[in-house]
Amino acid sequence: MTNLSVAPPAIDVVDDAVPLSPDQPTWALRRQRDKVVAATQSSHDAMFSHAVEGLSRTERLLVALHACRVSNATTLAARYRDGLAGENADAAVTDAVERGEIDSLADPRLRAMLSFTGRLIERPIEGDRAAIEALAAQGLSTPALVALSQLIAFLSYQVRVVAGLKALAGAEASA
Amino acid sequence: MTFPIRIKGFTTDVLKWKPWLDVVNVDTATPAQLAALDEMSPQARSSPYFLVLAHQPEILLQRSIAFNAIMFAPGGMPRAERELGATVESRVNGCVYCASVHAQRFEQLAKRDDVISQVFEEPATAGTTPREKAIVEFSIRLGAEPGKVSPDDILALKAVGLGELEILDLIHSVALFAWANRLMLNLGEPVFPETAAS
Repeated sequence: MTNLSVAPPAIDVVDDAVPLSPDQPTWALRRQRDKVVAATQSSHDAMFSHAVEGLSRTERLLVALHACRVSNATTLAARYRDGLAGENADAAVTDAVERGEIDSLADPRLRAMLSFTGRLIERPIEGDRAAIEALAAQGLSTPALVALSQLIAFLSYQVRVVAGLKALAGAEASA
Repeated sequence: MTFPIRIKGFTTDVLKWKPWLDVVNVDTATPAQLAALDEMSPQARSSPYFLVLAHQPEILLQRSIAFNAIMFAPGGMPRAERELGATVESRVNGCVYCASVHAQRFEQLAKRDDVISQVFEEPATAGTTPREKAIVEFSIRLGAEPGKVSPDDILALKAVGLGELEILDLIHSVALFAWANRLMLNLGEPVFPETAAS
């Protein structure tokens, strides 16, 4: 990547992860719900492209990597890992998260955020007030807690949209 | 009026929701926060849930657009069945509040509640017709084990008559409630009528 002032081609993250290309029937099917396509991508951009009060971009990408790893969403996980490399994030931290070694991380704030992520992805029913208060005790503001919850919840959505479209595309191939 | 269903901790009673975080004050909200609330619904300005989410207005705005497009777009899967998918996902995730709201919407749209009792009792076997059973089964699978959803699951939906746009609508609805449930379950708690009255 260079720093020329040319905008990169807009990539639809869901299409890219399935993957879907414009010559596929499932790509065209998806466009019948074009507002959903646009709002899904804009939600992704709101999570990752813009500044988010209270959470660094590296923290958001580490949460995403962990969430996708726990969900066995490998192509999405690879995207977020690439994003971390692009941010020049600490490679040792990225590698530890990729191996699921959350407890080995030195930063207690990051450890708390990723533990919360794993629980919210896998066992949302276990959410309780104490978990939110523990994160607040690590210095997360109310806007940061809302952003973190939205991010994890959005990733749950993104993983399922990709999984569903992948199955749809596969069914077309076998029809 | 039918009586509310109350099974295994799930209900079609009208519940309230109590946030664990402070809410945005509508009187001092920014234009971006108000725009995000209004994009969601005319009632959002008085909802503690949306007033918590308004702390991140751009994220709420995009989520509101996605929510309304998925649940209300014309054509495709009948709206009652989208609400059924949302209710099943909420039941499986244990989100009592979302299950109540969307079970009520199913009842309003479908004019019946038989399948709601079944979903609350035991989602794995719920459904009053082969089509409904297939919708419920798929919703459970995509909700609980997205990594295991396969083309065979799509073919099972097609075999009971679902068209591709209907299947896409169901995928979006279930995925949307994977999102919604995790907010409702982690930023606050449902308040039951008995508790509210005491």
